[in-house]
Amino acid sequence: MPETEQRELLLYFGPQHPGMVGNFSITLNVRGDRVVKATANPGYLHRGFEKMMEYRSWMQNFPMCCRINVMDPDPYEMVYAMAVERLCGLEVPPRAHYIRTIVLEMSRLTSHLAWLWAFANMLGFDTPGQWSIGDRDLILDLFDLLTGGRVYHIYIWPGGVRRDLPDGFAERALEVIEDLARRLGDYDDLFFENRLFVSRTRGIGKIDRETAIALGATGPVLRATGLAYDLRKTEPYAAYASLNFDVPTRQEGDSYSRAMVIREEIAQSISIIKQCLSAMPEGPGFAQPPNPFKWEAPPGAVYERIEAARGEVGVFLVSNGGNKPYRIHFRSPSFPHGILILERLLEGASIADVGHIMMSLNVAAPEIDR
Amino acid sequence: MWPQRPILSEQLFGYAAVTTEERLKSQIESAFETVKVTVPRRQRLVVEASRDSLALVLMFLSSKGFEHLCAISCVDWIDRGTFGLVYHLASHREGIHTMVNISIPREDAHFISVASIFPNAQTYEREIFEMFGVKFEGNKRLIPLLLDHWEDIPPMRKDFDTREYVKQKFESIKPLESKE
Repeated sequence: MPETEQRELLLYFGPQHPGMVGNFSITLNVRGDRVVKATANPGYLHRGFEKMMEYRSWMQNFPMCCRINVMDPDPYEMVYAMAVERLCGLEVPPRAHYIRTIVLEMSRLTSHLAWLWAFANMLGFDTPGQWSIGDRDLILDLFDLLTGGRVYHIYIWPGGVRRDLPDGFAERALEVIEDLARRLGDYDDLFFENRLFVSRTRGIGKIDRETAIALGATGPVLRATGLAYDLRKTEPYAAYASLNFDVPTRQEGDSYSRAMVIREEIAQSISIIKQCLSAMPEGPGFAQPPNPFKWEAPPGAVYERIEAARGEVGVFLVSNGGNKPYRIHFRSPSFPHGILILERLLEGASIADVGHIMMSLNVAAPEIDR
Repeated sequence: MWPQRPILSEQLFGYAAVTTEERLKSQIESAFETVKVTVPRRQRLVVEASRDSLALVLMFLSSKGFEHLCAISCVDWIDRGTFGLVYHLASHREGIHTMVNISIPREDAHFISVASIFPNAQTYEREIFEMFGVKFEGNKRLIPLLLDHWEDIPPMRKDFDTREYVKQKFESIKPLESKE
């Protein structure tokens, strides 16, 4: 046995590493090409949002909520707005539910397309990433038209959305998503049906259903193990109860299955946006929220949860009757995915697979640190 | 595998029999005398447990299908001198979320770890240990998670003042322009 395979070496994988996406690092104990033990080190993006929110009023917290996840910002606004609405008993008009659904699905699309860029790059495919970032940009332009911001939107508010759809939005949105729907076939030809992609990912990073549940997996990671669990179906919020969509699942629980679940979710999101645009009810887009400067929420504790691109996003919101949250705790899907599940999947993996196993879990570092 | 949405008795029989939430409530209350259960709305349960009964309550709920630990939250009730620990459990099969509340004294805060029942509790307990200073006995990995060389009191406690901390920490650093 050569000497390099007997000695155990410590390898720092990230935050400054070409195989790392985001401010995150993994310490790998390697023997030869095999990972013996992996330790996730989050904390590079800890901004103390939960503490800062205890110092700010109910309305002032929205610009921080969306920054919890750069790639998929809207579910955090949504879940916080839902918690505040539940606490204060605010009603949301039906039209706002539909607009919120469109925004959430557009956010899911941008997140999945950015994931495709990172994941394809990890496997050495450059072109799909360039395409997907290009297609994602068109959706960011839609966000610009709708909310005035490309990356952070601060659009969902207690009682509805900040303003109604602008003129020409529906036509432009339909144009963009139909274009994306046409391009999905190209993505399949280039990447998802590519023999190289399949042989690099099949059987790699396998997790079974019991382990996934025990370690707190949600979202595509759990659905890739065969459990059709989606909060949009189980606990319908916004307009999901009246929409018709499927929950894609796979049985194997490996890197390939997780990628294919995400691929199929892109098609589902496109169909959801189309349905929302055609079934959009008339009426106001928002109900008037209380005066933000004099707003005191009744005491209580609520937990709201929704399905984001990566899995279950939850918020535990405690009010003691004041004008600020007493305690706020965000449950993010990457918290279990990026620490315990990642460490488990990397044990015994080859160094070349570390990057794409991490991206197959779609770990977002800012979500872990908050 | 499982039905994506729980089938309600209203849909099957046309009238509301005992809901799943009510059934679970009576099951928990008959198994534990000291535990109080409320049903705030559909798909939600709130369980008020005591420190001694928590592990048993969690095991009982886990055997009833609550296999998913969403998170563990900690609330610093500084006026009452307690920390509130909230265990968020969810049942994939029934689509019900349960909050299990307990409170522990704030002085010399310590509690048992539930990582043997829910393995992913390990990381949540690490976070609470770091942010609130609650020690979880039995957690094998109670090491700092997010902060780097933290020497002050745990930062999510209510008596930690961020503005005061920033003043002390950063006003002692002289601006680059000042020449001395």
